Amino acid sequence: MATIFKTLSSDDITSTRTLLHENVPVTGTIVSGSTYEDNNIKNYSHGMFQSVYDYPYLSSSANHLFDLSCGYASGSGMNSSTNEQNSKKINIYSQMAQVLVGYDATGSVLRFDRDGDLSGGSKLQEAYFMNLSRLIAKDELKKGTFSFQIGSNTAYASPFNTQLTIGDFGADTTFRANSPAGEYAVLYTSSATPNADSGVGLLYYQAGVAVLTASVFGSTIMDDSSTGGTAEAILTGSNIQTNADALRHRFYNLSFNNTIELNSTIYFCNANHNEFNYSSNPTYLSSSSIRVKTGDAQNAPSSYITSVGLYSADNELLATAKVSEPLKKDPSSTMTLRVRLDY
Amino acid sequence: MAFLDNSGDIIIDAVLTDTGRFRLAKGDGSFKISKFALGDDEIDYALYNTTASTATADLEIMQTPILEAFTNNASSLKSKLVSIPRNNILYMPVLKANNDKENALNTTLDMYVVAVDETTENNTDQATAPFLFGENFTNGKHLRIDQGIDSDAISPKFSIESDLEETQYIIEIDNRLGSIVSQTGPAARIAFIDDDNIASYYLTMGTDQSYVTKNASTTEAGEVISGPRGTTLNFSIQSSIELNTSTFLFNQLGASGLSLSGVTGNVRYIDTTVRIQGATTGAQIDLPVRFVKSE
Repeated sequence: MATIFKTLSSDDITSTRTLLHENVPVTGTIVSGSTYEDNNIKNYSHGMFQSVYDYPYLSSSANHLFDLSCGYASGSGMNSSTNEQNSKKINIYSQMAQVLVGYDATGSVLRFDRDGDLSGGSKLQEAYFMNLSRLIAKDELKKGTFSFQIGSNTAYASPFNTQLTIGDFGADTTFRANSPAGEYAVLYTSSATPNADSGVGLLYYQAGVAVLTASVFGSTIMDDSSTGGTAEAILTGSNIQTNADALRHRFYNLSFNNTIELNSTIYFCNANHNEFNYSSNPTYLSSSSIRVKTGDAQNAPSSYITSVGLYSADNELLATAKVSEPLKKDPSSTMTLRVRLDY
Repeated sequence: MAFLDNSGDIIIDAVLTDTGRFRLAKGDGSFKISKFALGDDEIDYALYNTTASTATADLEIMQTPILEAFTNNASSLKSKLVSIPRNNILYMPVLKANNDKENALNTTLDMYVVAVDETTENNTDQATAPFLFGENFTNGKHLRIDQGIDSDAISPKFSIESDLEETQYIIEIDNRLGSIVSQTGPAARIAFIDDDNIASYYLTMGTDQSYVTKNASTTEAGEVISGPRGTTLNFSIQSSIELNTSTFLFNQLGASGLSLSGVTGNVRYIDTTVRIQGATTGAQIDLPVRFVKSE
């Protein structure tokens, strides 16, 4: 009996999971404003964070890179009702902490811990937050690839005369999993010896959030328009937008690898020697005679595969695949087409 | 210089069709791939050089450029490869509209014309041009599709081989415009309607006796298949309620002000295609159909 469909058995279907990584370099000239004169920086009237794009954000070509914000814990020594946007900075810190660190047994929001050991140790009470957009972070960041270079020169006008590299060094083997937002690692400077007190931030891989302690900037002049202009001075005396501007001013380079989890189903479409050798193509016949047989019934039939259709039980076409060139099928050949459907 | 790795199997990436995405989004388990078919839509077998050596006969076919995948399910795999265990087949069956016996084809338009309501039916003159009736479909013409080997080389007195006899037909029609009915029996049951409103009907010999019958004729009179005959498919088209009662779809999909031979007064019309495919042999035919409604 003639047939046009072949049923796939359970042995013909398998699933695979592939991790794809992309390297994402973000050059500081885009972020610091020298390329687009801050037309790629979006500020909001609520003043809670600032968005950074890779192109002037009014253009449809612009891609969202990340958001910048800052805050401090309500228990921080910086907390003062006279501070600029004091409550908003506390709110930002609390929001990030409750999502990324979670709660203690009493339901109180935990603070960011310097070494990730929540049972004790010092806390990151004042922090800058860099929330990477899903567009570039994809499913998660790849561990051990995060590298953030900041200008550490004290003078505001020449921030990059000296630089500091902050990264998740060694995180591919030493990361933590006690966060409700997934896995994270401690950020260190490249010159630091990792220990309980040398961490300068935390990097949450699935959430795509980097938390940077404000103390990493030390006495550098973050903003020359403020009194003092140090990180501590602008965290208390300036609004979040000014703090984000100050962080961008010292943004030299950022690079990391993202991860895309690709789940695939592979269908093994087997064409045995006596299958799919004929065609229902209208040009296949000339007066009902098969052209490729050249008038001799004993000649082998042949057909040319250009596409594969995957069907439901009720013959609805659910997916199609194309080959790059016609594949000849005749009784002397068998063929297995591996058709991959990605999700 | 290293050799290219040509071991292993061929891996190709598939894309979901619009129906596939639709079913996946529904989340009701209707997205389940259970079978496959192979297609050769781009291939023109007339390029097969029958006078060349075996090695070079298909040179032009093998150079055919292949299009990227269409995501419209109705546009993909229109011609499928067929599995027949035997290799000694020289003739394959085709589907042909039998306009000799039923005379339903409007030869001026080269289309089948359906009058969608009783007013239009009453305005037609079957003696001038044939019409299918969409409301009182038993009174109008109906369509007949014959299956068999259309070659003078084999006498119709020979029976078609059992593995080449089509026993099940798939009819696809735009469900907004009409549905498939028989002249004597019940309306055909829709198997499914896809996201483009294309309804598919499966009509099987034995089960749907008013549609699919064995063609036992061995004479030439009234037949369009020259050689051994398989089965015949008979059906009519019932116009949809929308076409019967409203001009909305005519305004949206069609046109108006047409003067048509055999109809008193001008008509609105919509052109469409009804596709018939053999479910086992894959043979297919597209019938151009025009729905008309008196203005």
